[in-house]
This record gives sequence, C-alpha cells and structure tokens, in this order.
Amino acid sequence: MSPRRADIGGGRIDRHRDVRFTFDGRPYSGHPGDTLASALLANGVSLVGRSFKYHRPRGVLAAGVDEPNALVTVLKGEVREPNVPATLLEVYDGLVAVSQNRFPSLDLDFAAVNQLAGGLFSAGFYYKTFMGPVVGPLKGTRFWMLCEPFIRRAAGLGRAGTAPDPDRYERMNAFCEVLVVGSGPAGLSAAKAAAASGKRVVLAELDARMGGQANWSGETIGGRPAAEWAAAQLQDLAGRPNVRLLPRTTVWGYYDDNTFSALERVADHKARMRPGEPRHRHWVIRADSVVLATGAFERPLVFPGNDRPGVMLARAAERYANEFGVVAGRRVALFTNHDGAYRAAGALKAGGAEIVALIDVRREISPEARSAALAAGGVFLTGHAVVGTEGGKALTGIKVQQYDAAAASLSGEPRSMAADCLLVSGGWSPALHLASQAGAAPRWDEPLQAFLPPEAARNWHGAGAFNGRTDTAAALSEGDAAGRKAAGLTGRAKAPPVGGPGLGSAPAPVFEIKAPGKAFVDFQHDVTAADVRLSHREGFISVEHLKRYTTLGMATDQGKTSNVPGLAIMAEARGVPIPKVGTTRFRPPFAPVSLGSLAAERFGEVKPERLTPMHDWHVAQGARMYAAGLWFRPMIYGLPGETVEQAYVREAKTVREKAGIVDVSTLGKIAVQGPDAAGFLDRVYTNMFSTLPVGKARYGLMLREDGLLLDDGTTWRLGENDFLMTTTTANAGKVMQHLEYLLDVVWPELKVHLTSVTDQWAGAAIGGPKAREILASAVTDTAVDDKALPFMGIVHGEVAGAPVMICRLSFSGEMAFEVYCGAGHGEHVWEALISAGKPFGLVPYGLEALGTLRIEKGHVTGAEIDGRTTARDLYLDGMLSKKKPFVGSGTMDREGLLADDRVRLVGVVSLDNRPLNGGAHIVERSDPDNPRDSIGHITAACYSPALGRYIALALVKGGKARHGGRAFTSDPLRGRYGPVEIVSHHFYDPEGKRLHG
Amino acid sequence: MVDALSPLAPVWEPGTHGDTSAGIGVGLTELAPGSIVQAAAWPGEEKALISAIAAVAGLELPDGAGGGVATEGKGAFGFAPGRFLVTDQKEGLAAAIAERVPSAMGTVTDLSHGRTALRVSGRKAEWVLSKFFAIDFSLAALPVGSGLATAHHDIFALVQRAAADQFDVIVFRSFARSFWAALRHASAEVGYEVS
Repeated sequence: MSPRRADIGGGRIDRHRDVRFTFDGRPYSGHPGDTLASALLANGVSLVGRSFKYHRPRGVLAAGVDEPNALVTVLKGEVREPNVPATLLEVYDGLVAVSQNRFPSLDLDFAAVNQLAGGLFSAGFYYKTFMGPVVGPLKGTRFWMLCEPFIRRAAGLGRAGTAPDPDRYERMNAFCEVLVVGSGPAGLSAAKAAAASGKRVVLAELDARMGGQANWSGETIGGRPAAEWAAAQLQDLAGRPNVRLLPRTTVWGYYDDNTFSALERVADHKARMRPGEPRHRHWVIRADSVVLATGAFERPLVFPGNDRPGVMLARAAERYANEFGVVAGRRVALFTNHDGAYRAAGALKAGGAEIVALIDVRREISPEARSAALAAGGVFLTGHAVVGTEGGKALTGIKVQQYDAAAASLSGEPRSMAADCLLVSGGWSPALHLASQAGAAPRWDEPLQAFLPPEAARNWHGAGAFNGRTDTAAALSEGDAAGRKAAGLTGRAKAPPVGGPGLGSAPAPVFEIKAPGKAFVDFQHDVTAADVRLSHREGFISVEHLKRYTTLGMATDQGKTSNVPGLAIMAEARGVPIPKVGTTRFRPPFAPVSLGSLAAERFGEVKPERLTPMHDWHVAQGARMYAAGLWFRPMIYGLPGETVEQAYVREAKTVREKAGIVDVSTLGKIAVQGPDAAGFLDRVYTNMFSTLPVGKARYGLMLREDGLLLDDGTTWRLGENDFLMTTTTANAGKVMQHLEYLLDVVWPELKVHLTSVTDQWAGAAIGGPKAREILASAVTDTAVDDKALPFMGIVHGEVAGAPVMICRLSFSGEMAFEVYCGAGHGEHVWEALISAGKPFGLVPYGLEALGTLRIEKGHVTGAEIDGRTTARDLYLDGMLSKKKPFVGSGTMDREGLLADDRVRLVGVVSLDNRPLNGGAHIVERSDPDNPRDSIGHITAACYSPALGRYIALALVKGGKARHGGRAFTSDPLRGRYGPVEIVSHHFYDPEGKRLHG
Repeated sequence: MVDALSPLAPVWEPGTHGDTSAGIGVGLTELAPGSIVQAAAWPGEEKALISAIAAVAGLELPDGAGGGVATEGKGAFGFAPGRFLVTDQKEGLAAAIAERVPSAMGTVTDLSHGRTALRVSGRKAEWVLSKFFAIDFSLAALPVGSGLATAHHDIFALVQRAAADQFDVIVFRSFARSFWAALRHASAEVGYEVS
C-alpha cells in the first residue's frame, strides 16, 4: 500500500493492477487510471518541480489542466516532451518522467539562490537591468546579448529535445448538429437531451474519464452515487449511433461559423502505440450549435508562502481523495472564503486524514458550512486568515492570524499550527475561454466575485459551472435546457434529484492576505502580489500592460488560476472595482497544443510530389532530379565521373550536333474551349489568335492588368473552338487563375470553358539536326516533312501504336518537335522515341542543358519574366498588337514603363573565362571593397558549348545601347568579380536558320 | 491499342496492411476507367447536356448541384455549376458525348489520361476520407451518387459516393502517387487491403 493511498474512493483506478514508472530516475508504482500527479502523491512525493524564476520548490496545486506547478518532461527514447502537466499525464508501464528547471537535481537546485535576490528579480527586471550603457563595448542591446544565454539557461519551462519525433499526427474533420464541450453533469445532461432528438452530437472531454465532477463530488444523482449516474449516461450515449464521444480531447479554439479546433491525445497514455495509430489527432469540428459546459477553475488565495509544496486547491485534494483514493496529507488544514470548500475537508477526513484546522476569512458562515466544518473536526477559526507557511521543501505548518475581511486587516499575534497539507479555495472562475474567443467580453458578477460568460453572440449555450452555477442540481437542469436549445427543441426534462451537503460557493471578496513575505499570484511565472503593485506604481495599469510587464497570465497555463486574483490586486491598488480594470480577452489555444498535431499528416511530408509520366524512366537512367515547384524534373543525365557542367555541356552539344530529347510534360496546359475561345485569346494575349488556322500553333505573350509581363507560351488551335494553351511550368496555376478571373468577373458573357489538361498529356521535345529523321522513323499515320509539318504546324499520328499529336516548334533554336500523347502512354512513347533515336545519337537532356540552349538563343523564361519586366524590356515589342486591345494594353505605355533607365535584356560574356552567376550585379566600375552602382543583374548563366565561353543573359540599364561595351560582374555574396562584355542576347544563330534544319 | 500505364504501378502492393487486429477497415483500389470525361454546359443548357449524357452513357443525372448517379462501372455527377464528370470503364466516351454536344450547348474535355480514379470502400471509409477533406461524408449530407470538388492541400480532388460505404476519389495523375501514399498512411490505423 502506498503511503498516501486511502482504503476508500479511487473509482478511477484499478487497485488490482500495478503500473511501474520512474520520476527523476527513481522507480515508483501506481495503478491504471492514475495520473502522474496522483501516483506521486500516493507515493508521498510532494516536491515535483522548481519555479520559473526563483527556483522555489513546488508541489502539485491542482488536479487538471489548470496545474501551474507540476510540469514534467516525458522521455521516450531520445525524444523529450517538456511541460506536460503531471495532472493530465496518465501513468503507464515504463513511463519515464523527469522534473524541470533544476540543476543538478530537484532536491538540490543551485539556482534556488535566486530566491535570495528576490527583490532584484521583480517585474520589469529584464527591461531595467539589461539596457546597456550609451557608450562602450556593451552599449545598447549588446549587454543583453551577452547575458541572454545565461538567463535562458537559468529560467524557463523545460527544454525541448532535438531528436526527430518518430510519432505520427493526424487531422480529422467532423460535422455535427450539436457539440458539447465538457462532460460533467451539465455536459452529460446536454448531450443526452440533444442526442434524444436524433441530432448528431459530439461530446468532448479533456480528461481521460468522462463525467467531470460527478466522479468525485461524493453526491448522489437520482438516488445513486453520482459517478454511477454518470457512467450510466455515458453508456447510453455510447450506444447511440448519432453520438460520438471524444475523451482526452481538449477543445482549444472557437472560430467563425462555429468551427472548433480540438486536440485528442490518442496514445499519450499508452506504453505502446498500435501500428498506424497517431499520437495526437487534431479535430476540426463544424457544429451547428454548441453547448459550453466547461466548468470552472478554483482560485487560490494569495498569502505569503502560498506556493510551498503541500498547499493545494481544496477541490483538487477532494478529487484526489475521491477519484484516485489518495489523501494529499496526514494533517490537513483548510483556508477559504466560501462555504463550498468545506466539502473537501470531509472527503479528506473520510480518506483517513486528520483535519487540524479550518480557517475562514468570514466571521459568519452558513449553518450548512458550519455543520460540515464541525463534522470534519479540527480547530475551527472564522474571521482568521493564513499569513504564512512553514517548512522547507514540504509544508510543516501554517501561521494563522485574526482577520477582518471587511477592512482587510490583520490583528492579534500570528499562531503556528502543524500541518503537512493546506487546502485553499478562494472561489471559482468559470472556464469561459471558448466563449471569450467567440468574441464577447465577460461580465463581472458581484455575488460570485467572478467573471461570467457574456451573452451569446454566436450559436452557443452555456450550462453549469461555466455559467457560475456550481451546484449540481442547477448544472443538470441547465445542461438539459442548453442541450435542447442547441438541438432546436423546446420543453424541459425533470432533472434527477441531487443528494449532497448543498454548500454554496459565493465567496467573500477576499483575494489576498497582505502580510510580510512572498505571496504568489501566478505560480507558473513567479509573479507575486508585490510585482502587481510595482507594475501599478510604474504606470502599467492597463490589464494588457500588467500582463506583459509582469508576465502574469502567460506561459502554458495562461493564468487559469491567477488572472482574477491578479486583477483584484490591481483593482485594489488603483482603488477601482475589479470590472473597471477589465480582463484580457482569451485567444486560442485554451491549453497547449502539440505542433505535430497542427502539422498533422504533413509532418514529414511537407508537400506532395508531382511526377511526370516519364519520371520512373528518368530515375532509372540515373538522372539527377531537381524540384521545380512541386514537380520533379531531370537536371542532368550524368555519366559516371561527370560534373554537372560536363554533363549539361555534353548534352547541349549533342542537341546542336545530333539530337536530344527532353521531358516537357510539366508545361502548363489549359484547354480553352467554346465558341468565344478565339476572341477570348485575342483579349488575353498581346498578339492575335483568332486568325490562327486550325492545325497551327502560335507563340503568345500575356500581360498583367498593370502592363507588365505575366507569361508566355504557345497555343495550339486543335479545332475551330478548341485551343490547347501551354504556359510555363511555374506559372500554370497563376495563368489559370488569371483567365478564370477574367471569365468569371470581367467577361462572364463569353462562352469559354477552361480546363487544366496539364496531366492529360505527356510531352517530349525532340530537337537537333537529326530530329526530323528520328521522328520520321518513329511516327506512323502521318508525314513529318516540311510540307506536312511546317514550322508551327500540328499533325496527328501514332508512335508505337499510341496516338500522338506533334507540333513543330523550338525552344532550343534547333529544328524541334513537341510530341504529345496521353499521359498513360507517356513512358511507352518516350521509350519508342529513345529507341528510334539511338542510331542517330539521340540523348536525353535535362533542365541544365535546356537552360543552356535557351540562353544561347536568348529565349526568355521566368528568370526574365520576373514580374517587373515589360515586353519592351525584353525586346518583344513586335508581339504587341496595334490592331486590338488586350489585357494590359491600356497600362503598358505608362511613363514609368517607357523610361530610358529601365533595365533591358542583353547578353553578357565572361572575359576572364570564369563562370557567371545568376543574381550577380552588373557594374560599370569594379570595386570589390565597396560594391556599388549596380546597372543591372544577371538572370541566367551557363557555359556555352556553341560559343566555348561562359555567357549569361542580363537585365541592364540601357540594354542594346551597351552592346559591345565593357562592364563588370559584381557578386559580393559569392565573391565573384570580373570583366564582362555586353552583347546581343541572341548569342547563337541570330537569324534562326537552324530552326528550319 | 497500347495500355495506359498507371502512375501507381511502381508502388502497387496488393494485400493487407496496417493494423488489421480489428479487421479490414477499408479497401483501396484503382478503378482505371477507360474514360474520364468532363462535360460542361453554357448557362441554360444544363438540362440539354444532362440529356446528352443520358443518351450516350445511360446515366440519368438528377438536376441540381452535386447530384449524381453511380452504377457498376459507370458514374456521373455535377461538381460545379453546369459541369459534370462522367466515368465509364469503356474507352471512347469523350468522342461519343462530343458528337451529341454542339458548341452551342457546351464543351467536352477528355481527361481519361489526366486523372487517376481511386476507390475507398469499407466500414471506415468515411473515417479515412475525413482525415483529408473538410466534407460531411454522412449519408444524409452526401447521398449515394452525389459528388463534389474539393482539395487536400495542393491536391485538387473530385469525390463521388458510389455506394453507402464506397467513395471514388479522382485526382490529377501527376499527384496520384503522392495522394496514394497519403491514403495508405491514413488507412494504416484502421487496417486496409489493396486490391
């Protein structure tokens, strides 16, 4: 038997089985159903962590998601996950957890010396201390940068690991009519009411066990223990096909149109995951309406030493006793400002603890509370307050003094009382985070001394403690009503009777007991009451400034236990009521969310791969593949021992001398169909397409609305009303969007349909002096001679039994043909062409050689059509029709686009016989020590086998006027400087003779 | 005639995979229809086009957005205003429909090579597809035969419910292998059979 495990209670654990785990290397045992917090408490471990700033010893404060202290790191092999609340972490065989923010150990933490310098580390410490001097070696931010590594090492909330996470994460979409968040009595009633209507219901509960406080309240519902009642409701709901139960699921975000984000911890509680099982699942739930039954968080009271291990929220201790069968201490004291806390004393007494004292700031308490106090036993002190705690790393006693709640004043002498556990309760704060995210400000309720949810601005309905109703009977009736409303029903069901002590939870307006010593408001970030007052004195009085200056309410718990006490102290300092200070608006997420779950199925697979029909052939031939957007394209087909340059030079040279074949399947292809297709193309291209005969293709330029170049490509007229437009690989999507926009918005009257057929066609461009001969030997059912297939002509035939469409056009400058076939036949046709080309010396070539061939010819691509250039900049003026308007024609002649100092296309030749780099600047005077006065930049560079020199295309001020002139490349990033000659961008065969064989 | 090569051929692994401890959650297969055709009507011509599809393919499309019909080996559904996707195990459907669709009625586009049709079937089909698409796959929201256009990140997809527990997902051919890998990944949890 564990030292703190009681004989009674413990409905959540299986006492007949043990699980073994380690904490800070020491072995412990617990039971299935235990959280790490309950199991450690059962083993008598009260010290579980060190605080953020002062490294003070800390114990378990809460029992759920609100836990600020007991954050641990879970180790799984090399993978470490920090900041897991021990209160949510379910133990399993083999669990390895370690404490955080201590060195060398939790017991002996050197940085605890920070406590001695407590005054130094007050609010604004960093801002004040690390402003460097005005002059000197540590001026400005340098001093901060010097100190930062040491500060970061000393402070913090655990350490992230560097090992790759081997787990998988998933996203899941769900739709329902009613989402119920929270499965306590209110949530269960709501789900039951909504489910009975036949509507689809999702019930989400962040805890592992559904039922909420019915599992530990010790009450009866409908004449049987509340936990049994909850189990029966859940069994009923689980049996309904229209209900989905999601335990271990935290609804953390409330977005527009009743869209919710939730995190399901699918496998965190398992020693071993099943094959394919995700660790976390990110649910996106779209609900017609939602019931918020998220309960409330108990507030601690602020008094000196309130963070000592052994101080625990009263309801948390009650929960540990009733649900886990763990008593948090042997000699227990209670300190509160409201009736409801007395229930906890009874639960711990039933578990075997001695109640040594019950301390209430109020002088008058209800007869029910008095009766509960007397039944619990111990010294009963009303009109008193705890003013300090005693002990080192564990509580050994408390100091109590007379207290006047109305005047907030202490009197008399403090007296010490021995206790190893102090239960505190300062009232309740409804968990209104989701409602706050939905967009409305909470409202202050004086009797409950709490912020209540706003009026529903969206389709949500609140119930139970979320509404400030902490009694179970109200939760049941409100839950039923909310569930009905959410399902669009009227009427009400008779709520089952509730049996219990019937203690109210309206607290006295006491949040802090002012006495000497550190009194913590925000346990997680070590923010004290003095810090809040300092913030006030220094002018940071807005609630938003208070948060940022003191860090109150930040970090993983987001101030679930500290926000309201912090506001109350600020309100008192300012002399205004609490609602006047305001409250921060909650943002998602409600609780920490794993980044893996947000990445979901993209974890490890950031983008899909887009493969051409010939992809496997390229890979099998040893091509080095290159990512071009989502596409993968061959860069080179290198031979053993070849460098990239040697490979592309060989490939490009072979194209000029014999023939080459390149996979052009990635070119964007858009079917432009309909009776207005030709007219539409006239409007979107700068040149005329309506005059293009069927069976012919034409090169076209497209401008944006602002007159700058958008894209270029050839468009083939396959039928009177049927065009096949090709775009550059990179701009396919952009052009499609542009055209769809024009048809949808600008010219909806045009009868034109656009369809992406990029994937319908495999494309192979075969070019070079031998290209026609190769084609003639491979193609049947059509001639390919000059008469049958003139430049820009199109014919249909077959290659090795597969239908093909061939267009004679060239990007390389050689006589060339693009052979299109159905994508499913792509590899077949490609291999047939390769076979046919073998006797002629045909080689496959990749993008590098393709780039080389086009640079030699001065053909432009996306490197030159870069979103900043005009047709004139690239000397494509001849493509601008004067006979018709087109998109961009009204704006392309703007003054700025005609200016003399625009950069224009030129060729560049390296004069030092060294490679040139894309992106390098062109300058008139070389000055490596002080690079300046750029007159343009290189857009694309290569070694030209045709010229035997390193050449490039560039955009340079003056353009043609500089032909024959000397300049320099200036590339400070890569340290490349050297002389160049500016020449025509038509380096090779400027007359285009080779195009015709 | 040359057979069309599936983009999935190198990664095709028939058999059971994943966690089959609770049985086979889904079956995954490639349909490889002989014809995948897009037929699109000009405004006002939708009914005429539906009649043309019915005459050629024998598929009686209901009038209305997302409506569709699925039979053994054939399917058709509207995925955008006036636009329909028609599939048939037989080849040559595009040309056959085009003969009945004059330019005044609409257009016909053959996508037989450009799209890859996958079938996800079984008791966990809705569960697996819900990992990909923000679509309500319940029978009430997506009745048998109906379909829609959607996307999974970069991958555009057309989805048709072929039967109560059977969905056809049609993606661009170039993305098919990536999508197939993702589909297998998502199905591993429930156990799947490739056939």
